[in-house]
This record gives sequence, C-alpha cells and structure tokens, in this order.
Amino acid sequence: MTKWVEQPLSWENVLFFAAMAVVFLLIVLLYVVYAILFERKVLGWMQWRHGPNRLGPWGMFQTVADVLKLLFKEDTIPRKADRALFIIAPALCYAPSFAVLAVIPYTRELYFADLNVAVVYYAALSAISTIAIVLGGWASNNKYSLLGGMRSGAQMISYEVPLVLSIVGTVMMTGSMNLRKIVEAQGDWFWEWNFLPQIIGFGVFIVAAVSELNRSPFDLPEAESELVAGYHTEYSGFRFAFFMLAEYVYMFAIAGLASVLFLGGWHPPAPFLDFIPGIVWMILKMAFVIFFLFWLRATMPRVRIDQLMGFAWKVLLPLAILNVFLTAVGLELFIKG
Amino acid sequence: MKGLIQGLGVTLKTMVSKKVTYAYPDEPLKMPDRFRGIQHFEPDKCIVCNQCARICPTGCITLTGKPNPDPEKKGKVIDTYDINFEICILCDLCTEVCPTEAIVMTNNFELAAYSRDELFKDRDWLVNNNTNVRQDNNNIGAPQRGGAK
Amino acid sequence: MIRTEELLLNVGPQHPSTHGVLRIVVKLDGEVIKEATPVIGYLHRGTEKLAESLNYTQIIPYTDRMDYLSAMTNNYVLCYAVEKMMGIEVPERAQFLRLIVMELQRIASHLVWWGTYLLDLGALSPFLFAFKDREKIVDLFNELCGARLTYNYMRVGGVKWDAPPGWIDKVRDFIPYMEKQLKDYDRLVTGNEIFLNRVKGIGKYDAETAIAWGLSGVNLRCTGVKWDLRKDEPYCIYDRFEFDVPVGKNGDCYDRYLLRLEEIRQSLRILKQAVEQFPASGETMGKVPRVIRPPEGETYVRIEAPRGELGCHIVSKGKAEPYRLKFRRPSFNNLQILPKLLVGETMSNLIAILGGVDIVLGEVDC
Repeated sequence: MTKWVEQPLSWENVLFFAAMAVVFLLIVLLYVVYAILFERKVLGWMQWRHGPNRLGPWGMFQTVADVLKLLFKEDTIPRKADRALFIIAPALCYAPSFAVLAVIPYTRELYFADLNVAVVYYAALSAISTIAIVLGGWASNNKYSLLGGMRSGAQMISYEVPLVLSIVGTVMMTGSMNLRKIVEAQGDWFWEWNFLPQIIGFGVFIVAAVSELNRSPFDLPEAESELVAGYHTEYSGFRFAFFMLAEYVYMFAIAGLASVLFLGGWHPPAPFLDFIPGIVWMILKMAFVIFFLFWLRATMPRVRIDQLMGFAWKVLLPLAILNVFLTAVGLELFIKG
Repeated sequence: MKGLIQGLGVTLKTMVSKKVTYAYPDEPLKMPDRFRGIQHFEPDKCIVCNQCARICPTGCITLTGKPNPDPEKKGKVIDTYDINFEICILCDLCTEVCPTEAIVMTNNFELAAYSRDELFKDRDWLVNNNTNVRQDNNNIGAPQRGGAK
Repeated sequence: MIRTEELLLNVGPQHPSTHGVLRIVVKLDGEVIKEATPVIGYLHRGTEKLAESLNYTQIIPYTDRMDYLSAMTNNYVLCYAVEKMMGIEVPERAQFLRLIVMELQRIASHLVWWGTYLLDLGALSPFLFAFKDREKIVDLFNELCGARLTYNYMRVGGVKWDAPPGWIDKVRDFIPYMEKQLKDYDRLVTGNEIFLNRVKGIGKYDAETAIAWGLSGVNLRCTGVKWDLRKDEPYCIYDRFEFDVPVGKNGDCYDRYLLRLEEIRQSLRILKQAVEQFPASGETMGKVPRVIRPPEGETYVRIEAPRGELGCHIVSKGKAEPYRLKFRRPSFNNLQILPKLLVGETMSNLIAILGGVDIVLGEVDC
C-alpha cells in the first residue's frame, strides 16, 4: 500500500483505492457477522450453555439469518417523527465508524491513509456518531427514545475527554500523532510496548473505550430493563441493523486503536517470533481486545447514570491528566535529561 | 477492583467448563417414572364410578357409561371419556382416586397443538396414548387404599 | 419562560423487570420520582372464591399456583391449617419429608430471586448460574412428586409420595455442591464494586416502618428485627433443628441481598441435619377420615415462606368445602411499602428496590 499512497493522485490510484475500500468494507462486514456470532457464543460459554448452534455448524449462519430477518421487516417510521432526521440518523451513525478505519495501520505495508494527525482524526469522527445517536433519539418522537438519546449523548461526550487524554501520553512518548510512527516506536519485546510504561493511560483508555461503545457495564442507553430500548426503540428492520453495525464496527476500530497505541501493533511479542507475519499478530491482538469486551459484558452489572457521569469526571479525567503529567516528568528526567 | 477481577475469573473459569444444555428436540428428554404427563386410559378397567370427574379441580373430565353389554355381568361399562386439555392442569388427582387404575399418567408431555380443538382428547386418543406409562401410580385416594368415598 | 411538566410513566405491566404483571404508575420530574402507585390485579384468578366450591384436596393444586416459585410452602400452609382444625397427627417420616422439601424450595426460590435481581441490574450471567443450580433442585422434586413447578405434593395428613430409593442420598450430595456454588456467587457478584454501588444505601427503612407496614420475611429482618416464624412459632418439626436467623443492620437493599444468601446457607444447614435424622421407615399419611370435613369454626395459621409470612385463614361450616378461605400473602403486604420508599428515588433505583422486595405476582394477585 505504501507505494500507492505515496504516489501522486491519478485516476489509476483512485480506482485502486476505491476497489481496496470496497474489499475492506466487505471484510469488515464479514467481521461484523462473525463478531455478533462470537459474542453470543462467548456469552453462552460463560453461562454454561452453548450459544447459537442450530443454524449451520457451530451456528455459523446465525447472524446471516438474523440479518435476513432484519432486512425483511417492515420499514416503519412513526407518524409524528421527523422523517428526514429519522432516516439520516442510522446512516450518520455508521459512516464515521467506517471512515475511522482508514487510519489504522494493520501492518507495515497495509494501511489506507498515513495521516500525521491520525489520533485527532479518530476522536473527531467518532464524535459525529454521538450527534447521530442524539438525532435518533429526538427524531423518534418517543419519551423513552428521547431519554435514552440524551443519556447516551451525555455519556459519550463525557467519556471522550478521558479517552483522548489517555492517548496523549503515548503521543508524548512517541513525539508524533501518526499511528504508524507510534507502532514503530514501540519495541520488539512485549514489555517495551506502550501498555507497561503507560499503564494508567491504558487503564483509562480501556474504561473510556467501553463507555464510548455503549457496552456493558456502561450500556445505559440500551438498558433494556429500565427504559425499553433507549434511542433505537422506534427503529426496526434495516435501520436498527445500521445502529448495531455501527456499534460493532466501532468495536473493531477501538480494538485496532488499542492494539496500535498500547499493544505494539504488528510487532510480535518477541523478536524470534517474527516469522509469523505481522497481520496475524495484529489480528490476535484485536481479537483479544474484542474478547475482553465480551468478557466484561458477561460479568458486570450496569452502572447507574449518575455514577457513570461522576466516574468520568471525577475519576477518569483526573487519572488521565495525572498520566500526562507523569509522562512529562518521566520524559524530562529519564529520556532527555 | 478486586471484586471485579474475581468476577472476571469466575466467568473465565465457567467458559471452559462442561456445558449443561440439554439437546432437547434432537434427543428426547427422559423424565423420572413419577412424572405427571398426559393421561392414558384403559377402558376395560374402568368401572364408571365417576370419582375422577368428581375430584378433578377444574372439571375437565366428562364421561358417560352404558350398561354392560354382557347381560350376565352387572355394572356399567365406559362409553365416552373426554378430557379437556385446555383446562387439565395435570395435577394427578384423577389417578389418585381411581380404584382400578384405569386412568393413569404417562411421561409424555408434548401436547402443543395449533388449534384448540385438538386439545379436546377423546377416549380413543387416550387409549392410544400408551407409551411411557407410569409404573407407580400410588392411588391413595381410592377406597381400598383408605381414601375418600 | 421555561415550563416543566411532570412526566407520567407506566412501568409495566409488560416490562422486563417487574416480576410478573405489575404496573407502577410513576410521576417523574426529570429522573426523580415524585409519586409511585402500584397497580395490581393483572394476574387475579379468583383462587379464594374458587376454593369455596372445592374440597380441601382439590384446593391443593390451586395453592401451587399462587406463589409459583415456592409451591411447597403454599401446599403446606393449607394442609397445616386443616390439620390444626381437625386435630390430625402427621407421622414422623411425612414431617421430615415436608421439612426437607420446604427447605429445598426455599433455596430454589432464593436462587430465582438472586438470578433475576442481577438480571435487572444488568448482569447477564448470574441468572444462568442460578438456574443451573435450581435445575438440580427441580430435578429432585421431579423425581419425588412428578412435577417441576406445581407439585401438588402435600395432602391433609401427610404427603402423597414417599421418597424414592436413593433420593435422600441425592439430597445429601446436593448440599456440599450448593455450598461450593455459593462461594462462586460471592466471587462473581457480592464483592463486585459496581454491584455494591448500586445496592448499598438504596431503599432504606427502619424497624418501626417495617413493623407498621406489616412487612415480613427478609424485608423485616433486614432492619434488625429478629423475627422468624420457624423459630418464634415453630411448626412442622423445625424446633428439632439448629439454625441461625440472619438479621441485617441497615435496612437497605444490600442487607436484603446478603440476608437471602445467608438464608440459603442456613437452609443447607437444616437440610444436612434433617437428612442425618431422617427416619428409615414410616408412614407417609396419618389417620385421615374418608371425607375431610373440618368441624365448624375458624383457624389462622402462619408459616415462614421464602418471601415472608404466609398465612391461611379458614372459616368452616362443617362441610367438605370451606366457607371462606383467605391467604395472607407476603408479597401483597410487602408491596405496600413501595409508594413510600420510591418517592425521591431515580428510575434505576426503582428497579433495584423493586427487585429487592422480592415479590411474585402470582402471590400478590392470588
């Protein structure tokens, strides 16, 4: 990919990029299908049961059946709902999630864009989905959806601050916001990856990421036992599928980001293991992060809304700032001094 | 923090344990002998004493008898015997009072039907429902076992 | 000029967290509850009226369906009331069987409560854990009396079925298994900080309030009042066994949670002793007349059901059917404190408090 990205833009390049984007979209869709299946399987295993296993061997076709069901459903739009906003909201939620995947470097050669401000790009685009969720809640003309949308908006905005601040430490250590350079700056042995020196940042990042994704234990917007279904109550069929798709693609993005920023990207845990290609390590690390998200969902009860906000502003934010401070002090004393 | 980590440990340990799901529709569920499933009726044993219809708490048994076709023997023989499974609660009181164990329960429990009409089972259906018949009927309500009149 | 309105919200009757068909009409100001009114009756089936035309043996299957999660105690209260009116003596082995079955039922009922309470709070796995263990109890009952939920097991004067061979050994094996599982439950949930933040200090009330509102069971004991009918008015053969009555201090949801788990442990303790002392042989039915006709008069008995004090009041006119049969159901009385407790709480706390009271709508509506 490097040579294609570094060439000046021409029609050939554009066609190649478009084709690669489509291929990648298909790969991501395939990932979503199997991530949904594996979430249900893993949740089942953690609960002494098998998970879906009737459709296809190991339940492989379960999500396909679910998606087909969603596609065949009637597309209802509530009568007093704001039509334009109702229709835009799911698409607006999904588009940034896919756009964000462009900056994550999967291996040394496999990346789609080499932005020098990749971290800021990620944070900015993922915020657009927040707007989409609030839009969805508002446009549904439903008390529950509105409550859910507002809660979700508040939650996502509050947790973006610690999320971005926790990355600042890694950026300071690397000296660049370019994700490829961040991966290259991490050493070959697993104890040289960023999660050890930046352990506070890593902790804050993981917690803030779980909250950004609206997953347990922070899944209040979808708290079924309290508010029916939150902001996507009125959405059915394919529109609902879009919200779910956006959530799973964001999981992919967060897993990619976590792997790149803290877990060493495509580096193997030890240099003698580098006969295994970097893409395998990247996939393993992303799979581990995604498994961790499933694991949390199986185990934790839900946090209450006021505790959630308190936690973000009173615990995570000071920790993230402390992390930045300690990183600055450490860099000054040990690296430059 | 510690509580959270311990909880994560429990779920991880569960993930690698043996699963407890029954393979139900593929493998039939084996019920213990005393299980109260759908009834089985044996018209030859019935003496038309009406105890089952009287004891039924929901009144779902209706039966008629006719005089014994054999002019030598006295007493009645069962003519029709219906159980309305819309209201039968499978409480087992009918088998408890039957003096001859003409009505007994089986271990079958699959009774779901697409139409309510199919839930009104007549004598022939009950006679033919003769798989998995319960062995131990314990009819403590029958007169010879000290039960009510 | 900004004008705010109160939001009228209906929680239920179809709602994932109201345990059955309960409807709570809630007036919200933002997220704070100003007024909450439970509306019941969606599951009313007229058991008490039906009982006026059925004889006592026929009423027993109906009692199963009142508090369907602890059917054995319901069976027992009716049989106990009739036996008391008629002065029937129940043989030893039947008493033991009744006690073992009631304690197993208490464990099963508390397990269901534990699983569903955590499901309401958002944790998905404890529900499956609880039901896996409850499955063992329900299988034991299946072997004993042929049904998994509505047992119709007790009769006036004893029990219907004797324990099949090997059943007592299975109960004996269940006890250490359950004790081990309780340790897992503690590791999974009780220490979990998120859970503690959600239930500590929620839904507090003191002992005078509890007594004034007629609460019973764990809802009363969590405030510090040591009142358990198994010890204070012993029935069946509870006075032969040694067990503690756990009592809470703060009167909040966390105390109720801990008390119910502790009650499971005490039930296991009773079971261990009962299984050791189980008589090797004996009758399962006492001397009961052919037609059960209690003498004219009335009686009220009460027992400690898993949810509280379950009482049965029978007015008899000397016939085979009761003249009036009334059940004092614990969930019905325990529910009445909700409007008072919920004022000033938020919606998420509503779910936590409602779950902590442990109601079963079959019992509330009867």
